[in-house]
Amino acid sequence: MDSKGSSQKGSRLLLLLVVSNLLLCQGVVSTPVCPNGPGNCQVSLRDLFDRAVMVSHYIHDLSSEMFNEFDKRYAQGKGFITMALNSCHTSSLPTPEDKEQAQQTHHEVLMSLILGLLRSWNDPLYHLVTEVRGMKGAPDAILSRAIEIEEENKRLLEGMEMIFGQVIPGAKETEPYPVWSGLPSLQTKDEDARYSAFYNLLHCLRRDSSKIDTYLKLLNCRIIYNNNC
Amino acid sequence: MDLWQLLLTLAVAGSSDAFSGSEDSSGNPKFTKCRSPELETFSCHWTDGANHSLQSPGSVQMFYIRRDIQEWKECPDYVSAGENSCYFNSSYTSVWTPYCIKLTSNGGIVDHKCFSVEDIVQPDPPVGLNWTLLNISLTEIHADILVKWEPPPNTDVKMGWIILEYELHYKELNETQWKMMDPLMVTSVPMYSLRLDKEYEVRVRTRQRNTEKYGKFSEVLLITFPQMNPSACEEDFQFPWFLIIIFGILGLAVTLFLLIFSKQQRIKMLILPPVPVPKIKGIDPDLLKEGKLEEVNTILAIHDNYKHEFYNDDSWVEFIELDIDDPDEKTEGSDTDRLLSNDHEKSLNIFGAKDDDSGRTSCYEPDILEADFHVSDMCDGTSEVAQPQRLKGEADISCLDQKNQNNSPSNDAAPASQQPSVILVEENKPRPLLIGGTESTHQAVHTQLSNPSSLANIDFYAQVSDITPAGNVVLSPGQKNKTGNPQCDTHPEVVTPCQANFIVDNAYFCEVDAKKYIALAPHVEAESHVEPSFNQEDIYTTTESLTTTAGRSGTAEHVPSSEIPVPDYTSIHIVQSPQGLVLNATALPLPDKEFLSSCGYVSTDQLNKIMP
Repeated sequence: MDSKGSSQKGSRLLLLLVVSNLLLCQGVVSTPVCPNGPGNCQVSLRDLFDRAVMVSHYIHDLSSEMFNEFDKRYAQGKGFITMALNSCHTSSLPTPEDKEQAQQTHHEVLMSLILGLLRSWNDPLYHLVTEVRGMKGAPDAILSRAIEIEEENKRLLEGMEMIFGQVIPGAKETEPYPVWSGLPSLQTKDEDARYSAFYNLLHCLRRDSSKIDTYLKLLNCRIIYNNNC
Repeated sequence: MDLWQLLLTLAVAGSSDAFSGSEDSSGNPKFTKCRSPELETFSCHWTDGANHSLQSPGSVQMFYIRRDIQEWKECPDYVSAGENSCYFNSSYTSVWTPYCIKLTSNGGIVDHKCFSVEDIVQPDPPVGLNWTLLNISLTEIHADILVKWEPPPNTDVKMGWIILEYELHYKELNETQWKMMDPLMVTSVPMYSLRLDKEYEVRVRTRQRNTEKYGKFSEVLLITFPQMNPSACEEDFQFPWFLIIIFGILGLAVTLFLLIFSKQQRIKMLILPPVPVPKIKGIDPDLLKEGKLEEVNTILAIHDNYKHEFYNDDSWVEFIELDIDDPDEKTEGSDTDRLLSNDHEKSLNIFGAKDDDSGRTSCYEPDILEADFHVSDMCDGTSEVAQPQRLKGEADISCLDQKNQNNSPSNDAAPASQQPSVILVEENKPRPLLIGGTESTHQAVHTQLSNPSSLANIDFYAQVSDITPAGNVVLSPGQKNKTGNPQCDTHPEVVTPCQANFIVDNAYFCEVDAKKYIALAPHVEAESHVEPSFNQEDIYTTTESLTTTAGRSGTAEHVPSSEIPVPDYTSIHIVQSPQGLVLNATALPLPDKEFLSSCGYVSTDQLNKIMP
């Protein structure tokens, strides 16, 4: 947790820098992204959103592929319909479930929800990579994607924090995010149980990446294009 | 969670039927597909079963369950989506929530399925497909158009709730295969270079980004261009390649035939040049042609023999003979006798050999100082051809020799035991002195002159007294106790060109050999003086000759006795005085090979051995 605190402090510093730049130059709509280095430029919100949408789309693609790969390899014929049984660890977050709800959610709330989702997946992704590595006969397709998703997740988190700082200057205290506790089930000796845990985790990852992707696109059209994408 | 566990049991029980997709032989209703066109509603469809007629129409029911609503509910709308379907409107639709549905027939579960709404998105086809003309080419043959369409109306792309991806297909009217373009995110796309006289068809379909399933195709749009000009659009001029090729080949063949069979030699030579005959320099090709092999052989043999002579082991001796070009020389006995004899004129001739060029060029080899037998040989041989420069070089050598003699006492022990090493060692020492300048040589000469002892009676080397403008060296008459340092003094200014240096080096090389003998003889030999009669010839005295005599005399105090008529000059290996032969076998061990290879001169004994 300490590392997370320090990283948050660092991100907060960055946020302040970005916010100060934003306050200084209000009229700039779009400028080149940091031509003189990260400390002396201002990234436009449009660029930040474009980048964030790209990354979230990529994460969703990767997680879908990874799930399909795992399903094909380990879950066929085993009846892993546990998605009906097990819930994801992020289910406690009050995310909007349809378009009307999403339309009525304020962008601040939506952004903090996105941040919460991203943060809550840091730990599971890390362990996913470790455990997939240890899985016997783990195909490279799954492992490489897991590693990639972990990196991209961190990247998206940074970007989102920057966007958050720009859209909502004077960001408030970070909301607590759900903690994942499914590590024991990933490390259990029972192979079927372990595979089932993996299946569930990958399914949840796919679902949450879809949520993040949709919310971000929603925010992008609402904030940047004024609901006229 | 009880319901969920029940659901799991059901799922496990019916999994094979639900997911295998195999035909239900019993004719029960089955789910065909569930679909959401805009991520806001969805509907599920099922087949009616084979023997539906037997069943009552209302016996089929569908139930669904959601995680947050943990009870089975019946389908809210059996009508809106058509027959055998269930429609869930937006209030019943919850994205990212797992649904499970089941189909019952007369109370018995016949099928069930679980899914999430975001996984079953399949948009409706785009609408409003149309095109506009962008521009027409100058030739009025081609045109560019822009095809536009609208997303399906029920999808909320403006808000960004769903992001769509489009795929355009097009083809000419009479074609059967559709061509497809890459997926686009925008609702318009240009098409370039369509032919104005043809008609085209386009259609477009869409899917949600990140999913795999496309929706249905839109309606096909027909593109026809109004006839601009009724003028005949001429077809592309088909270049008559075929005719041109045929005629070209014919013409070429005719030309070739004419050339080959024509009597015009000139043109023939131009087109078909003759094969060149082999040529050997110096040999008339006619000889080869006419088959006069004997003459060719002789010509070649001459060259061969000449070369062969050079590289013979006894080249020193042999070389002399070659220079004279007198085969009789060989039969005259050892060179020792030759030199000792009165016909030193002849000897002079020997050493005044012509054919400087051959040796000289070889003496220009840069790496002379290597213990290269051949090189030293040739240099020795050519050095025999006295040159003014050479004499100067010798003068230097003789001067140097003096210096070496000074150093000789220190080397007493060494030379006797290790000839080759001494050679090498001494070789290095005088060399820099030589190159350095004549000053050292002068010094050497002085010292040398200071000890003109036993050699007084013998003229083993000659003193150069003057050099004539013609280039001949004037040697002082064979005198004893010649004082002074004439050699070194008189011709200090004679600059030795490369050639001299080379000679010097070569002589130096041999001198080294001699020096070892000098070492044995602590006494310094006086410069021998060459008689002026040598002027006519191109003679030189090698340092070797000078030093060897000294060396020889070193074994004993007795200088090569004067009782023996010493020729005005001597060559190293021929250094005379039988008893004074430094290369006395008793005095020195004779590593024949080394000896020979080092300096290219042979001791009398060796000479005797070599010469039959």
